[in-house]
Amino acid sequence: MRGSKGSAVAAPLWAIAAMAAVVGTVTAFGVGPDPRAPGSEATPEAARQEQILRGRQLVLEHGCGGCHGGWDNPGAEGFLAGVTSPAQEFLIGPCAWEPGAEPCFRTRPRNLTPHPTTGMGRFSERQIFNSLRYGLRPGETADVEITSSTPGEGNFPMFPKYLAPPMPWAAWRHMPDEDLWAIAAYLKDGLKPVDNLVEDSEGPPDFWVSNYTEEAYGTYPLPPFPTANEQEPPASANREQVLRGRHLVVQHGCGDCHGGLTNPAAPAFLAGVTAPVQVFPVGPCLVDPEAPCFMMRPRNLTPHSTTGIGRWTDRQLFNALRHGLRPAGYPDRVITADNHPDNPDLLAPGMVWVEKRHMSDDDLWAIIAYLRHGLKPVENEVEESDRPAEGWGGTYVDLGVGTYPAVPFPTANEVGG
Amino acid sequence: MVIRVALALALFALVPVPEAPSAWPASAPPASAADSLVAPPILPNRSREPRTVEVTLTATASTVELVPGVRSDAFVYNGRVPGPTLEVREGDRLIIHVRNELPEETTVHWHGLHLPWQADGSPFYPIAPGEQADFDFVLPEGSAGTYWYHPHPHHRTAFQVAKGLYGALIVRAAHDPLPAMTEKLLILSDNRFLPDGSIQIPDAGSLEARIDFENGREGDVLFVNGQVMPTVHIRSGEVQRWRIVNASAARVYRLAIPGHELLHVGSDGGLFGQALPVDEIVVSASERVEVLVRGTGDPGTRVALQTLPYDRYIPQTRPPDWDEPRDLVTLEYTGDPAVRPVEIPKVIRPIEPLDSDEVTVTRVMSLTQGFINGRTMDMGRVDEVATLGTTEIWQIENLVGMDHPFHLHGFSFQVIDRNGVPEPFPKWEDTVNVPKHETVRFIVKFEDYPGKWMYHCHILDHENFGMMGVLEVRKP
Repeated sequence: MRGSKGSAVAAPLWAIAAMAAVVGTVTAFGVGPDPRAPGSEATPEAARQEQILRGRQLVLEHGCGGCHGGWDNPGAEGFLAGVTSPAQEFLIGPCAWEPGAEPCFRTRPRNLTPHPTTGMGRFSERQIFNSLRYGLRPGETADVEITSSTPGEGNFPMFPKYLAPPMPWAAWRHMPDEDLWAIAAYLKDGLKPVDNLVEDSEGPPDFWVSNYTEEAYGTYPLPPFPTANEQEPPASANREQVLRGRHLVVQHGCGDCHGGLTNPAAPAFLAGVTAPVQVFPVGPCLVDPEAPCFMMRPRNLTPHSTTGIGRWTDRQLFNALRHGLRPAGYPDRVITADNHPDNPDLLAPGMVWVEKRHMSDDDLWAIIAYLRHGLKPVENEVEESDRPAEGWGGTYVDLGVGTYPAVPFPTANEVGG
Repeated sequence: MVIRVALALALFALVPVPEAPSAWPASAPPASAADSLVAPPILPNRSREPRTVEVTLTATASTVELVPGVRSDAFVYNGRVPGPTLEVREGDRLIIHVRNELPEETTVHWHGLHLPWQADGSPFYPIAPGEQADFDFVLPEGSAGTYWYHPHPHHRTAFQVAKGLYGALIVRAAHDPLPAMTEKLLILSDNRFLPDGSIQIPDAGSLEARIDFENGREGDVLFVNGQVMPTVHIRSGEVQRWRIVNASAARVYRLAIPGHELLHVGSDGGLFGQALPVDEIVVSASERVEVLVRGTGDPGTRVALQTLPYDRYIPQTRPPDWDEPRDLVTLEYTGDPAVRPVEIPKVIRPIEPLDSDEVTVTRVMSLTQGFINGRTMDMGRVDEVATLGTTEIWQIENLVGMDHPFHLHGFSFQVIDRNGVPEPFPKWEDTVNVPKHETVRFIVKFEDYPGKWMYHCHILDHENFGMMGVLEVRKP
């Protein structure tokens, strides 16, 4: 794993998750309330509650439950309570695609509920913040304010110990401070503690130091816009919106599958599959070698007119992110409960639109603005992902990824309200 | 390349099974053959005063033979590794002159003793090179037990112990409740060496050093009293009393003698109320146990005291050979006919449980990798304040996936429960191993001595890093 780009880290694991849980026909529509609406005259209690709700929103958008349990359904049993079965573990390293290959490490998503000994209960919000911003394992990092990402400086550990892949902290770290604090607040005070002891993840003795290089994952903060992959938006575009979209694209780790990881300066950033390692399987074959496998080929997200998103309108892209509708299958129109197809032709389950649909309209439009106007077009025709003859729509039966909009706060797993 | 000392001794050699003796001799004389296990010499008492022991302990840098055939640059107490044994009686006044002839600061911590904090040998009182420190304190009644001494300078303990600074300290009871029997002292340690005999300590910052930090430095050569695989003789039927000190920086010993049920009779702070028959005993870093080894084998046979695999490690740095048993001592039965085993009293040393009704404070200590409650040691900070004369419960929660042995200076405690399972009977301890992801609660009474006391993980690399805090016991 060390030294080999991405392997399992690069992305495929999301897909495993997505396939295992593909969910139901999406029937809920509409734009959810913007949870960030500031309450300027809020009491401390109200401000805290608002922060917790913002954290919940972010947890859903970023699909924490996809690995940590309960998918995007805060009402699901075991929501964020960590793995409860070996089937939820990830194989990291060459063994992820070649059984028996070495090295092979098992990553076991931890219990994120505030249980005092098996969850986040004894960690401070600052330790959770530091784990999201710097990728530092909270159990191995002091409860201090960190002001540098250079080892040995500004309280950054001389020998950092990073969270095990595929925890996408390299993407999450680009979230604004207030968002990371909000996630920490939700995990500490918005969830009920669940007693679920998750065994330690495995890993190399350098705790992934050699894996998380700046070369692969880019810098924090992001390199100045535009990099060689990017371009100044035209005067007709909203530059501020494009730049916000750029941040969101990185925060949500689009490049983990679509190329370039979290580094806008990386070659072929968001240009889709350019190497075999980016192709990954989903489907029952993951648990049964005899069962069918569907190969996922993340598409070219640059605005190239024939091989990238230049083929689609903004509305088609919005519908893909919000409703999972394949742009090729649906014309440019506003989707409502009335005109949503009964048996929709949905994106392959490697694409985690069931998380991204929880993002606000503004955020989705910003992402689209960046893809359209902030990236240089790259000609790279990516073959379509495999899919069952009947399409994916029929397989999105509700296995627990939750609804859109999300169920009201608090569910039985949550506290507050 | 680390020297691997071959330990492929021909244990369990086939020998004819002797016939059962027709009659038991009336008593249990000690085994007749000479052991190769040698106990460190007792420090000579220079005092002529009654009930006073005055000794001198000198730490120097020296070249000594640690593994047979090669000489190693080491640190030694009074010229040897392990250091000489300090043997005293409870109630004695103990005067110890410690001379530091090392090229660096040191201290000597009298591990497990209840004494004034200035005499504790903690990092607060370093002894500069060329200086002498004089310790003078009285051992309380009831403190009979097996202890040890080792350096405790901040950030340097692991290095100095690895270089050879450790020794045993035995406090004898005025009236030992166990019957007289052959007694052995076994100081367990481990180390590793370069081919030229030098003690192998990896370069700071190297991957090996970081693995040492995670696991605590372990050596591939296992020593008992500084010897590799020594032999102890026992006679069939004989019962021997073994005092065992884990002086390793990190290694946990899971001790067993195949085919032999052990009688566990004592812990850090001395004898139990009753003997506990066990097949194996886990002794974490710095813990001590007293064990009665019963010669239930046949004359002429031999077995080994082994340390069985014990997974105390986090998955990232678990050593590849962690799951292999290792032999420590050959236990050889003499050819003498069996004797009748000595009777072990049903009640050995009754221990009153500390009164939980008196508990005024419950403290939580969260152990993570290198941190206690998210902090590392700051000599200028007091982490916890307790009131002299009060009784507290300490709840030690290990939040990470490896074991941490938790040591409290100055005050022995009684473990109440482990992961909610009550301890079967009270016993005195100063170190308790907190297994990965488990919680241990103990009750402690802060008697006699106000002052600043350390509590820390006794994996010395963790202690070095600062997995340690300061408890200040203040007068009300």
